[in-house]
Amino acid sequence: MSSPISSKGGRRRLRLGARTSVVAILASTLAVATFGFSSAATAAAAKKPTISIWVDSTRVPQVKAYEKSHPGVKIDMVTYNGNANGSGVLQSKIALDNRVGNGWPDIVFSEENNDAASLASPQFNYPAVLNNGTVSKTVLGGYAKGTLAGCTVNGKVYCLRNDLAMNVLFYNSALMTQFGYSVPTTWQGWQTLGEQVATQHPGYIVGSVGDNWDDDIYLWPSECHVDDVIKADTIDINGADPNCTRATQLIDPLIKDGAVTTDSVFSSTFGTTYNNKILMMVGPAWYGQYLFPGIVTKGDLAVANPLSWGSGAAVTGEVGGGLWFMSSHVSGATKTLAASILTWLSTNYGSQGISPGYPAYVADESKWVAGQQASGLYSNQIAPVFAQAATEVWSGWSPVPWSTDSVFGSTVVTGLNSGQTMTSQLASFASQLADYAQSDGYTVVTNP
Amino acid sequence: MKSVVSEDASTPLSTTASSNSRLRRKRKNGVAGYAFVSGYFILLILFGVVPAIYAITLAFSGTGGHFAGLTNFIKTGEDFRFLPAFENIGKYLLIWLGSLLVIVLGLALMLHSIARKVSAAFRFIFYLPGALAGAASVLVWLFMLDPTVSPWRLFLSIFDFKNLGQTILPSHLPLIFAIIAFWAGAGGWIVVTYGALNNIPNELIEAAQLDGAGAIQTAVRIKLPLIKKWITFMLILAFAAGTQLFVEPQLVGEASLGLISPTWSPNELAYYFAFQDNNFNYAAAISVDLLVIGLMCAAVLVFRTKLFEVE
Repeated sequence: MSSPISSKGGRRRLRLGARTSVVAILASTLAVATFGFSSAATAAAAKKPTISIWVDSTRVPQVKAYEKSHPGVKIDMVTYNGNANGSGVLQSKIALDNRVGNGWPDIVFSEENNDAASLASPQFNYPAVLNNGTVSKTVLGGYAKGTLAGCTVNGKVYCLRNDLAMNVLFYNSALMTQFGYSVPTTWQGWQTLGEQVATQHPGYIVGSVGDNWDDDIYLWPSECHVDDVIKADTIDINGADPNCTRATQLIDPLIKDGAVTTDSVFSSTFGTTYNNKILMMVGPAWYGQYLFPGIVTKGDLAVANPLSWGSGAAVTGEVGGGLWFMSSHVSGATKTLAASILTWLSTNYGSQGISPGYPAYVADESKWVAGQQASGLYSNQIAPVFAQAATEVWSGWSPVPWSTDSVFGSTVVTGLNSGQTMTSQLASFASQLADYAQSDGYTVVTNP
Repeated sequence: MKSVVSEDASTPLSTTASSNSRLRRKRKNGVAGYAFVSGYFILLILFGVVPAIYAITLAFSGTGGHFAGLTNFIKTGEDFRFLPAFENIGKYLLIWLGSLLVIVLGLALMLHSIARKVSAAFRFIFYLPGALAGAASVLVWLFMLDPTVSPWRLFLSIFDFKNLGQTILPSHLPLIFAIIAFWAGAGGWIVVTYGALNNIPNELIEAAQLDGAGAIQTAVRIKLPLIKKWITFMLILAFAAGTQLFVEPQLVGEASLGLISPTWSPNELAYYFAFQDNNFNYAAAISVDLLVIGLMCAAVLVFRTKLFEVE
């Protein structure tokens, strides 16, 4: 191929071309600048700050409720995946915003309970401190005891809880009566009943281990030490902990018998496959309103206190729950307005009344429970069960900057799907967690 | 790339006068060529070369911006996710490039030897899946792979897959991603290779046939050696695209509600470092690793096949 760049005419034309492109670039820059200026001018004329709020699709009605009750406030709502299942979308956006120095959401909702630890770390430095007067002491004091622990890092509160997601035992009261069973109070009792169901009523289930948050449902309430930050930067991770194996050894035979399924509860056919076939299921409070309607006949669903391990007080785990953060990059009138919206979304009954989860803010609890009870879904009183379970969440499962659930999913759940037992996967689960911990600068200990 | 598909091979001119006019035409065409290329060139500089230089700078600096030598490369190389990610991508590339080479060439040769009318219809069919852009094609595949909704559930049940989690086990992923890549990308390459085959002068093929070469001998001894450069070109691009696998594992991970490691491929690992650990230097080091691997493989192929040599 001959090279046209060697010809003089070609060069001249090229220069001409270059000049044309320079003009074009200048023109487009000017255009951008003009548009930029005009929008800035409009914003200045409006004067009222626009508050940007990022939420998952489940939280959209809560923001819409705010907009409806506060027509004067301009909200720019963005829907995203809620940072669910260890996706880390929020971290990636904040990292980019940090890099360019703007674009942070003023308020953001996250389903990931570890996010206070992660976002408040010096790497992200995103959320505003709320217990320095930004949010009033009355509001902070209105939360159920211990519920802001996950939001608190070194004494600073970085978020407000949306709801409490403690696990309880859900069961189908109609099926229990029909089969002549009584509701178990211990994990051992749950297992015995599961074995009975497998032989007497095959096809019915007493639980599911098909999702990456099932470590919160089975290992957390068993006080399994795989996520226990015992002091700053030291974490106890021990997959061989008898507290871990006692749970998995109960579940493995039930999976084999089919009484515990390995299907994801949110898979497309879960509802049809297990329609009125869930005899029992341990799960977070929000399963009640979010998972079971349509699967369990209205009026047949009941709740019982978290299962205990026979001796000692019952403890439970929690799945998500949701956190509301406010940006530390806002100031002045925007900050005041953002703080009031944050408070409204997380504490006002106008918002909490339509949230599927049990409110963390005590004043909303009784009204929310009354609403749930009136929906006719439950056959027994949920208030005493939820209230007690909320105080029983085991504190040995700490918020950490990595997603424990995501590791559980890619080791234990995939192991189950390939025919392994849960017990056999504990070692790789723990060793991957230790890898994450070490790469984040933690010292890993086993059985301190 | 369009010119490759053109079916007219230009015939060489022999007289001096016509060669002069050809030169003039070439010069004119050359300038027009530059005008056309300039749009691409500017974008290449802005979004290809400048970011690459930026990445290389980042890869050799510490978080504070100081020169860090090879620290970022060593630290990322020692990370527990580094080797598995490259292992995954290696398995995937073996399957994807192997099948690309064998099946694409096979189908293109087949197309070339059947009647033109029929081949046009086939070319269209082959190309069709490629019209679905990356993310969309993965979504289509998510439905295909989920035994509970898949139109192919009968086929999946042969392997005893009862839910999406069982289909997308870690050991199946390299094959699954290779199938997706093949489905979406092979059609385009079949059309390109077919175009390259059309550039082979008919006389050559006829001469071979007169000498008694059968269809297979013509394909292997005449056609393939003549389109060797196109095959190299395809391999270089497919290799580079393959090492950068990101959308497929990311989307499958999201769709399965997190059953796949978020650092399955090296590109995902880089993304994780950048956005989960806020360490852009580590991420840059991995992207430079990928760049070096891509360049090395390209260099081997280019020199072995004399890709840039002009006869």
